Amino acid sequence: MSQSVTLREPAGRVSPRAPVVWAVAALVRGIVLAAGLVVASVVLELFSMPWWGWVVYAVVALGYAALMPAYRYRVHRWESTDTAVYTQRGWLSRERRIAPMSRVQTVDLEQGVVSRLLGLAHVTVTTASAAGPLRIDGLDRDVAERLVDELTRRTEAEPGDAT
Amino acid sequence: MTERTDQLTELARDADWRHLDLRMLLVHPVNELVRFLPLVIGVFFLGRSSEGDPWHYLGVAVPVLLGLWRFASTRFRITGSQIELRRGLLSRSVLTAPLDRVRTVELTASPIHRLLGLAKVEIGTGSGARNGDNRLVLDSLGTAEGRRLRADLLHRAPAVPDAVAGNAARVPDGPAPAETVIMRLDPSWVRFAPLTTSGLVIALAALGGSSQVLGNVIDRAANASSVGGRVRALPLLVTIPAGVVTFLLVISTLAIGGYLLANWGFTLSRDPSGRSFHVRRGLLTTRETSIDVDRLRGLEIHEPLGLRLVGGGRLTAVVSGLGRRAEGSTSLVPPAPRTVVIAVGEHTLGEAGPLSVPLVPHGPAARRRRYLRAVVPSGLVPLVLGVLWLLAGWPLWPALVALVLPVAGTWLAADRYAGLGHALTERYLVVRSGSFQGRRDALQRTGIIGWNIRQTFFQRRAGLVTLCATTAAGKQVYHVLDAPEGMAIALADAAVPGLVDQFLAG
Repeated sequence: MSQSVTLREPAGRVSPRAPVVWAVAALVRGIVLAAGLVVASVVLELFSMPWWGWVVYAVVALGYAALMPAYRYRVHRWESTDTAVYTQRGWLSRERRIAPMSRVQTVDLEQGVVSRLLGLAHVTVTTASAAGPLRIDGLDRDVAERLVDELTRRTEAEPGDAT
Repeated sequence: MTERTDQLTELARDADWRHLDLRMLLVHPVNELVRFLPLVIGVFFLGRSSEGDPWHYLGVAVPVLLGLWRFASTRFRITGSQIELRRGLLSRSVLTAPLDRVRTVELTASPIHRLLGLAKVEIGTGSGARNGDNRLVLDSLGTAEGRRLRADLLHRAPAVPDAVAGNAARVPDGPAPAETVIMRLDPSWVRFAPLTTSGLVIALAALGGSSQVLGNVIDRAANASSVGGRVRALPLLVTIPAGVVTFLLVISTLAIGGYLLANWGFTLSRDPSGRSFHVRRGLLTTRETSIDVDRLRGLEIHEPLGLRLVGGGRLTAVVSGLGRRAEGSTSLVPPAPRTVVIAVGEHTLGEAGPLSVPLVPHGPAARRRRYLRAVVPSGLVPLVLGVLWLLAGWPLWPALVALVLPVAGTWLAADRYAGLGHALTERYLVVRSGSFQGRRDALQRTGIIGWNIRQTFFQRRAGLVTLCATTAAGKQVYHVLDAPEGMAIALADAAVPGLVDQFLAG
């Protein structure tokens, strides 16, 4: 066994508009959390937050929403070959998933509100294992549809019950 | 088949519908009565005040009627390729499962069932694994009929290859031929019961539940009587060990009780045609589980710290198509000596390799990570306490006592590294990890249906990955923890040929 074997990254990038979706989601989460803090400290008076606490929170939340999507965009990749699907996700922690085409059970395409406005879609590929779904976030809608068609066609051609 | 012929055969087969055993009429009312007991008692006692109230008859009649209703409305049948379960008289539901999806059959008999010679039959199929209700339950059949049904289900399942090979292997009807017994429970194994994690958890839960009551009683006794005075007069050196010993005795007794209840008469056998394993166990409620050999994807040896220290372990089967929920029904060896676990495991797999093959260690980076993760958090405690002693005037002894933590952490790290490893045999991927929850899993290489390769930020810096083999069986994913990246990728490539190689760099 050679110790220098490594995986290359999957070939395809997600849509350049995907970071917008992640940024919007991060901002929404930041605002919801801020609203919760306001309710807890100002309305319910569970604790008192000093003014600089709010400043630190705003800087962290905005910094996260500004930097994370760009970083994440460099990580998220996908690839589909004749015999397998290969994805890479995450930003600080990363996860690569490989599923053989013969074990694919379902292929889903979903769109959230923001993704729909931007013409994006997410593709989820599941296998018979509860731990195995492969998710590709933020593909161009037509790329996603082509991928789903292709995967469906290939998995239909495979015999067996995929367990 | 066209729709019309379908309907015709449907009609022709209506006679095949089978009922539950009539004796179940006695089980269900008793069960319902027990469930309604508070209500029944309430009705009778409250009913006393207003004489002639018809309500208390209703309180008894309703559960009995519910039982009758269930008997009348439940039918099942086995057609050529599937089993159907029909429920309901007014609103009908029909549960259908293809016979080749039957993974396990379980016969359970509570004391009432046993008295009446009945058994509840649960049929495990993988079909609805994601939406919860994936089990067909027949409550109840006569024990003999239940066993016959089980034989039918498990032996008819792989119908196609069998037909090709000729039906020579079919079990003839009539008295079942003798099974090969692989293992029988030795009552002396109860000595392992107090050392299992589940035994401890059960005992602690029971203690926790009763501690409030006990606490009150002890308080009152201590304050009200002379006992309290006498106990307080004893030196601490006597009372503390006495308390600890009592605690341990209570826990052990509870754990042993639980072990005997669940595992009394534990017998693992292989059916004469070699197509399924049977597990029989239980003191009051008996349980018979059958596992289709074709669905066996591997084995898990569990060696929690307590068991490992006294040379024990337990064995579970990895069965495909059964969700995590059903894990409890796949036990092959209860807590028992390690030699027994290994012997049974080898017999079940039909080869010796996977359970005894030496494992590949994961190297210095993985060892460093074990030490960092165990020693740093546990070392912070005495450090903080020491600072508090220096600056805030705290006493010194908490910091000195807390020095035990990093020492224990060091031992834990060493043990966790010693337990870490993997191996690849001709047919199996073997992984081992853990200390408190030590385990060794052997997973059939053909059962692997994908790879997840995870790296946290710190793992990335250390050049390590956690390689996860996903499968449709057992706990769905088996981890090769903290292996060097190159080693993990090479392992994934070797274990499932032709999958990973197309994504290799260079």
